[in-house]
Amino acid sequence: MKSVNSLGARCPRPIIDIARALKDLQIGDEITLLADDPATWADLQAWARMTKNIAIKVKTCEFLITKRS
Amino acid sequence: MGWSDPRKLSTESARANLLRNEALESIAKRLNLHRNEIEIIGEPNLGHFLSIGGLLGQSNRLIYSAIDRSEIIAISRTHESVELPVDLSGQISLVKLRASNPKVGDIFSLQLANGETGVSQNTGQLIESCNGALIACDATASGAHLQLPERWDTALFDARSWHGPSGLAILAIRNSKSWKNPLPHIGATRTPNSVSLPLTIAAAVALDAWCEEQNLVWEKVRELNEHLRNEIKKAIPDCDIAGQLDESLPHLISASFLYCEGEELLRLLDAAGFSVDSGSACTADDLQPSHVLSAMGVLTQGNVRITLPSDITRQIIDEFLEALVRAVTSLRKP
Repeated sequence: MKSVNSLGARCPRPIIDIARALKDLQIGDEITLLADDPATWADLQAWARMTKNIAIKVKTCEFLITKRS
Repeated sequence: MGWSDPRKLSTESARANLLRNEALESIAKRLNLHRNEIEIIGEPNLGHFLSIGGLLGQSNRLIYSAIDRSEIIAISRTHESVELPVDLSGQISLVKLRASNPKVGDIFSLQLANGETGVSQNTGQLIESCNGALIACDATASGAHLQLPERWDTALFDARSWHGPSGLAILAIRNSKSWKNPLPHIGATRTPNSVSLPLTIAAAVALDAWCEEQNLVWEKVRELNEHLRNEIKKAIPDCDIAGQLDESLPHLISASFLYCEGEELLRLLDAAGFSVDSGSACTADDLQPSHVLSAMGVLTQGNVRITLPSDITRQIIDEFLEALVRAVTSLRKP
């Protein structure tokens, strides 16, 4: 599975990184995001709602994203 | 002239006392309160502690919402408490309120409107669902925009909500049997009594002026708010506006833009002549995003909090929109 490492990056960078990475994926593909900015999880959920993708929090700084759109 | 200590016995003090009483009478009347119910406090943030802490006993629970002010969340950490979630539109969950099983003696912190998003609550349904719990209203953002609900025990107002001076709050105590001054005190004082008389008079005058213009002005502001919200949605893709205008204060908008940094957005708008605030993490001292936006599930990055002044015009709105589109577009460039 592909992974995006945004550790140490401040929001909105992790969301920009994951949005860019998703462009190369097919519908249904999964990708992991590593990010430790305090706003990441809140913004990842909002981003998933707005872009119709799925985001799950796996660990404190690890998130699983499924491309749906 | 007139600024002597109103509690002393001199002629100047008597005059100051008269001015103070007239100001309090005027504020009480405008807020539909009784003069004996209100106390003036020099520090609005302390007012939350007095409003809620005065009702809280050792064994009482504090029921509050996730979008309450941070001062209230801080109080919740010192008592047994229940935090109620809100939905995407900022409305407190009635289901969770009922599930918390509120009972006589509990304190329900009821924020009439949120100062960040402007979202107001359906107070009737909430109060009906909280059984006999005591109600501490936070009216610091709603001010004179919204009436207090039918049943309440304490209420806190901030003079800034009607364009009065900062550093002045009004604490209303309807249930004086259940409220006890939570600060260490001697005698029968209910509040620290450290408030400035000129500020009190300024707050009364500002409230008079605010109420006089209210009907004429705020309907126009609401229409312009609706226009701005619609135009933002049309002109800028991937934006998230917090709450619905029909259940919000007329002059506030909180909008967030994907892939934008809040701090840079503020700088670009400032350079274009528009001063706005932000709930984005990058603009906060502790680098934490707004707890209000997070609780609602609204995007916190690229956030701007817009306050429309009462003299706002369509032309200014359109100029602001142009500047906002330009700023977001430039920040989204790869």
